[in-house]
Amino acid sequence: MAKRVLVVDDAIFMRNMIRDIFASGGFEVVGEATHGIEAIQKYKELKPDLTTMDIVMPYKSGIEATREIIKFDSKAVVVICSALGQESLVMEAIEAGAADFIVKPFRAEDVLAVVKKVMGEG
Amino acid sequence: MSKYLGLFVSEATEHLEGLGSDLVTLERGGGAEAVDSMFRHAHSVKGMAASMGFEPIAVMAHRVEDVVAALRQDPTLQSRERVDLLLSAADVMLAQVKCASEGTSLPAGEAVLQQLSELVQKLTGAAPEHTRVADAGVPAPSNGPPAEAPLPAALPPTPEVITVARPVSGERGAQKSELGLPPRFNVRVQILPSCRVPGVRGFLVYKKLSSLGNVFNLRPALEELKAGRIPEGKISLELETSEPEAAVRQALGNVSEVELSSLALLAAQASAAPHAPPTAQPASEGGPSATAVTARTVRVRTELLDHFLDTVGEMLLATARLKEMGRTLPEPHRAPMEEGVYRLHALVKDLHGKVMTARMTPLSVITDRLPRAARDIARKRGRDVDLVITGAEIELDRVILEDLADPLLHMLRNSIDHGIESPEDRVAAGKSAQGRVLVSIKRVRDRVVVEIEDDGRGMNAKRLKEVAVERGLFTAEAAERMTDREAFLISCLPGVTTAKNVSEISGRGVGMDSVKRTVENVGGTLEIESELGKGTRFTLRLPLTVAVVHLLLVGVATEVYGLPIAKVVGAMEAPSSALSRSRETLMLPHGNQLVPVHWLGDLLELNHAPARDTHPYVILEVDGGPVALAVDTLLGQEEVVLKALSQPLDLVSGLAGVTILGNGRPIFILDVPRLLSP
Repeated sequence: MAKRVLVVDDAIFMRNMIRDIFASGGFEVVGEATHGIEAIQKYKELKPDLTTMDIVMPYKSGIEATREIIKFDSKAVVVICSALGQESLVMEAIEAGAADFIVKPFRAEDVLAVVKKVMGEG
Repeated sequence: MSKYLGLFVSEATEHLEGLGSDLVTLERGGGAEAVDSMFRHAHSVKGMAASMGFEPIAVMAHRVEDVVAALRQDPTLQSRERVDLLLSAADVMLAQVKCASEGTSLPAGEAVLQQLSELVQKLTGAAPEHTRVADAGVPAPSNGPPAEAPLPAALPPTPEVITVARPVSGERGAQKSELGLPPRFNVRVQILPSCRVPGVRGFLVYKKLSSLGNVFNLRPALEELKAGRIPEGKISLELETSEPEAAVRQALGNVSEVELSSLALLAAQASAAPHAPPTAQPASEGGPSATAVTARTVRVRTELLDHFLDTVGEMLLATARLKEMGRTLPEPHRAPMEEGVYRLHALVKDLHGKVMTARMTPLSVITDRLPRAARDIARKRGRDVDLVITGAEIELDRVILEDLADPLLHMLRNSIDHGIESPEDRVAAGKSAQGRVLVSIKRVRDRVVVEIEDDGRGMNAKRLKEVAVERGLFTAEAAERMTDREAFLISCLPGVTTAKNVSEISGRGVGMDSVKRTVENVGGTLEIESELGKGTRFTLRLPLTVAVVHLLLVGVATEVYGLPIAKVVGAMEAPSSALSRSRETLMLPHGNQLVPVHWLGDLLELNHAPARDTHPYVILEVDGGPVALAVDTLLGQEEVVLKALSQPLDLVSGLAGVTILGNGRPIFILDVPRLLSP
């Protein structure tokens, strides 16, 4: 059964791109969220196998959202999508419980390599 | 290397003292266990000294180890002379360690070394091996660290110096794990060169591993790691975890852009080896029984404990100050402030108690060296003595213990030197040829009682009195009225104890005055009982902890008194005009209330006339609320050791105790509530 993915990013461009990458890798994108609050709500609703999380988003940052998702489900697998130059924010997200991270701009194979590894399939 | 020196000195000293007492045990019929323990001590010292680059110590320890190894194989090789030689070697090494600690050059101890070398040659039929201070002498134990495992940081700074210790780390490592210390892994990780943000990658590795257990010796250090300064992308660390190795592998296997270079189980012993950083577990080759205990203890410098106590004392004072400030707050804020301060005070008191507990140390720390001392004194004086020590596991405040070490040795020396007769005299007196000295330690309520009892010739009360009268210390009448027990204490008077004739008559020699003074300074008492021809018993009654009190010193007329600062809520100066009168009583405004004033001089019935108009007042908290004591001068604060009053002074109401100030002046500590009660 295909792994179910929740994609969280405030930019529609990024969401589309990530969705395509996952589709090509045999994952099923079950939901999308455009900010932290929506991310938490969608996570609770969908219980995805994997969540990709942008950091800088309106209303609630990806760091806060990660923290709350992990609090809700300690087994949640959250992968941070961040731009180069945001290292300290990524480390904060790791502190908050993120399982791994991807640095933008990224190539499809890099993203798939990271998520497969983090899911224990790599 | 210098940062390991303190640790080296304390551990090597312990091992060498252990070696000494094992030798004495061995001579008294201790079997294979004592020999094994000796071997471990010598071996540990060799390894440590080699790591530190102290060649003379390493070489000496190596020879001792060789001799002990031979004794281990053939117990019949043991002789009194050989034990003597090994004891001398232990002494030389102790002296060398002392020099090392002082930074002076080490004596080579050539004579002893020469004898040891000859003995090794004789016992093993081969010349002693070269001691390799600059190389490893022992192959790595089977489950010890693999060749590449030791971390750069855990190695001594001089890379060519490698410890030679850990002969038995194989079995000890396993033992430790059974005792519940989680296994430790050495983990090495390579971050792939393609990684664009190695700092974050490295941090993720660190987080993943710390979620499994405790991380030690992270290289590079966390800050460097986070900043991405990772030389060649290599990270190494030690992970203490109860998780299986597979879990560690899996945790790292899920992380991209990293490769696990090596994962090795470290023997617990390896992390406790002397070259480990001071923050690691204590070394634990002190003997089989020590293993279980040290697994759950850490070594703390004693100065640190003293510092804790000082700090906690300061905290108590600061809390008292806060409490006073709280009183001046307007009503709505006062209650929460007081509640907070009350809680703070309770916590600080609790902490104070814990710190005091941490300072408790078993008496064995000082009694362990007595058998060796007894043996030496007895041999020198041609006595045959059996020393029995009981209750050494009982604990006392470290400060008292330290002060007690010399007096105890002193009394033991006196007992053997002057108390116990020569074997011939003993037989002639119908006693067994071997004398007996019993050191027994008991806990009696809140006191520790130490008795040193011998079955020697006893003290002659009559002759002591005569000498005291001759020397003009007492009148003949006074001496006549003295009980025997009081007469024995004459031996503790400074003028008497140094006198040669008294030493001969009484059998109690030099330094009893200092023994008595030391014991009393820590708040204890000394009693002497003796029966002519039967023996003598010294009884020390010691407090469990030094009762340290902070005092506010005040002057009234020509006297100085101490007020316990815990009861003091404030001090101020005020002119007479500031006082108001309520019926018969003078009142002093303090904060937002009026406090009744008492003249300390009047309370103490001192003959004094307050000359000035402005006086200092000390405000104290007593049961009925605050009171102000008018004094002549405020002299400052002092931390003192409180001593209980002995008869008949303990009957005087209003005195809490007595102490001696730093300048030597004895003063009374006042019990103000009792002073005020009619």
